[in-house]
Amino acid sequence: MESPVTTYLGDSRDSTGTLVVIFLRGGADGLNMVIPHGDDLYYAARPGIGIKRPDLIDLDGFFGLNPHLKPLHPWWRSGDLSIIHCAGSEDESRSHFEAQDYMEHGGLAAGGWLGRFLRARPDAGQSPLTAVAIGATLPEALRGAPSSAAIQSLEEFGLGPNVPPGFLKSLAALYQNAPRELGPAGRNALAALERIQQLTTTRTPPANGAIYQPDSFSNGLRQIATLIKARVGLQAATIDLGGWDSHLTQSVIMDPPMQRLASGLHALATDLGPSELSRTQIIVMTEFGRRVAENSAAGTDHGRGGVMFLLGGGIKGGSVHVNWPDLAHQLAGPGDLPVLNNYRNILAPILTRQAPTTNLSTVFPNHPLTPLPLYS
Amino acid sequence: MSEISRRNLLKAATATGALAGIGGFSALSHILNPLLSSNSDDLSPFQPPSSSEIDDATHIIQRLTFGPRPAQHAEVTKLGPRQFIAQQLNPTSIPDRSTDLRAARYEALRANPPGELLEYDARELLDQLTRDKILRATHSKRQLHEVMVDFWSDHFNIDPSKGDSRWLKPIDDREVIRAHALGSFPEMLKASLLSPSMLWYLDGRVNRRANETERPNENHARELLELHTMGVHGGYTQQDVMEVARCLTGWTVRERAKSGFAVGKVEFRKDLHDDGPKLVLGTHIPAGLGPADLDRIIEIISLHPSTAHYLAEKLCRRFIADDPPQSAIDSVASAFTRSNGSIRETLTKLFDTPEFWSHRGAKIKRPFHFVISTLRATAAHSDGGPALQNHLLRLGQAPFQFPTPDGYPEEATPWMATLLWRWRFAMEFSSQSIKGTRFSPTKLLRAAGGENQLAAHLLGRTPSQDESSAAITSGAPLALCLASPAFQTF
Repeated sequence: MESPVTTYLGDSRDSTGTLVVIFLRGGADGLNMVIPHGDDLYYAARPGIGIKRPDLIDLDGFFGLNPHLKPLHPWWRSGDLSIIHCAGSEDESRSHFEAQDYMEHGGLAAGGWLGRFLRARPDAGQSPLTAVAIGATLPEALRGAPSSAAIQSLEEFGLGPNVPPGFLKSLAALYQNAPRELGPAGRNALAALERIQQLTTTRTPPANGAIYQPDSFSNGLRQIATLIKARVGLQAATIDLGGWDSHLTQSVIMDPPMQRLASGLHALATDLGPSELSRTQIIVMTEFGRRVAENSAAGTDHGRGGVMFLLGGGIKGGSVHVNWPDLAHQLAGPGDLPVLNNYRNILAPILTRQAPTTNLSTVFPNHPLTPLPLYS
Repeated sequence: MSEISRRNLLKAATATGALAGIGGFSALSHILNPLLSSNSDDLSPFQPPSSSEIDDATHIIQRLTFGPRPAQHAEVTKLGPRQFIAQQLNPTSIPDRSTDLRAARYEALRANPPGELLEYDARELLDQLTRDKILRATHSKRQLHEVMVDFWSDHFNIDPSKGDSRWLKPIDDREVIRAHALGSFPEMLKASLLSPSMLWYLDGRVNRRANETERPNENHARELLELHTMGVHGGYTQQDVMEVARCLTGWTVRERAKSGFAVGKVEFRKDLHDDGPKLVLGTHIPAGLGPADLDRIIEIISLHPSTAHYLAEKLCRRFIADDPPQSAIDSVASAFTRSNGSIRETLTKLFDTPEFWSHRGAKIKRPFHFVISTLRATAAHSDGGPALQNHLLRLGQAPFQFPTPDGYPEEATPWMATLLWRWRFAMEFSSQSIKGTRFSPTKLLRAAGGENQLAAHLLGRTPSQDESSAAITSGAPLALCLASPAFQTF
């Protein structure tokens, strides 16, 4: 039987695109990131911490970007950035752990949505480097992936520091004549290793004048960009950005991660350049948004609807997807932005774009999908 | 807490060895692990295979175990391969006290009643399950039993990351998989149908019909027919799925979220059971049987010809070839039927087919098998801890972490992209870079009697000219053998 493995890294380019999933842990306040400045009720609910009209960057006459997200504005204008407001899951616990768990598993389901997707896609498990998580541990979303590695640096790829000089050549000699699937699979792995080795020996600077800030988030994005550009078959990469839990003095807490998010995304998209960006889907998500009204400590409490950002991947950007709710009458529970866009309906079209024939009912079980029209 | 990050919580907890909810005993056992796994297998000189082809003893060891230990080829040759098969088919006849003693540290796995498991942190339970599996696969002398435990763990796959399954999977491992691995299939099926972990995983616990308007949840019924018994082409209809679902209504599990008492207890609730008459695969089940509907289902499907054929094909795929010959499937299926679903009798027949003896060395080891066969071949000791588990994750086969009910695939193709990480494992292992995993390279080399003999032991036959010269030029002969095509096969 001819194995489908043969052509995976057969030529100098792999055929796959990459999903980059950025999880803002702690419940990012979507309302102060993408501000409904056309809604006076927003200002009434947030007299202290609301972002004033002169300070924000207007997007469409109704929504505006937090000034700390300014680096994202050019991507909005070029149509590469899409924003989904009132996004979230049906979990009502308002607990970080429960809500993250629920969202990453894709409901009451075994394994993570990303792990299941990587198993369900038709070319599952063929890439030698299916998925990486930048960090110390794998996120729940990646649970059950065909192969996934938590790495802190690119040096953790490859065969490690103890490889003697003749080792790869000897391996190549044995796999040259290996029977059945082992031959092509061995040659794929050797090709991937060669590319990784080039990455770690020659540290190429970021392309197109991209500048990564010296924080660990940007550094992680830089590693992801390197892997994408090296075309080693990376199908998914995950990275977290924490620090969003802003119960008090919100701007003191939330401004720095917003700056890190925006400058990191800007650097990543710049570094990838138009052609790589078009095959890379960058998803920014969080477990829930915050309560609409500010609390007495100039902060916000755990809410429901949040905001998601999508960058690249041929998305038809430049719009905020939402049927903006009436903040006087349409709030959820104790006064939260409602969830009007279930996160599965946002992820579904992205996954379909990534691997068109994938059966999404196994990725998001027990949930009828109504995919959002993200690609025009 | 100003910044909530589950990851940071987890890191901190791991660093202090004090995951929330673990009793003092298990925290202590983590400290004791490395001490307890001090070397007790001796590495005295042994005779590796001397044939250039895979001989009978190598073949039998490779297929019935997780790979040869140093002196095993000589032992099986002396005993006779067929005698070894007979022994392995009767695991209780094989003394294995040292493995049980080693595994005693995983005390959570013996928790009884199920509710006691709730006292543990769920991550601790998954860790103990995983370590126990690694330890038994590596050290148990009842190797065929462990191989079948692995087989049934996939056949009745549960990813315990769903709901209360997080706490209840150890019960399933103990009372479904391990208790019946070489026993009676109908009994195993019944145990699985009433396993609280499975009832969570496949939503059986919410399969109810309290009144005319409620529709049963078909998930468990469908997987029961499609994956656990008859196979997707087994000849049942959507109507059969719905009728089986009706039969299984009313079996509930006491939930952690609703009650602190007897959590995990499986109870039949008459008020949630559809007690009307049913028709399953042409057989009438009269009204009013209540919980006995489940027994009728087992009678109808567990020994159905489609079940016999489906299980025979899966067993032949594991033990003979990815694409097993029809002749072998047929004779194994009839052994299953004749023995009323005795797994031992079915395997006895399988190991007696000419196809079993003639298909040698062409199966690809799955990653778990690859890792365990490395540990066994080198008489290594591993705590089965985070470093080794991390390798299994990278290799895509961390135990108990396959998300969908079909279990880790047996055939080679889905695993072919794992070579790079296999090579990495081979390199890290042979350079003693895996924390918590150790072996003695000099003793091993001396016991084998030289590089070529060690290669013959690892490859199951004498190395070819190419293999010998590649080993020399590689600069790391052991790692090269472990990374070689031949070591990926069995």
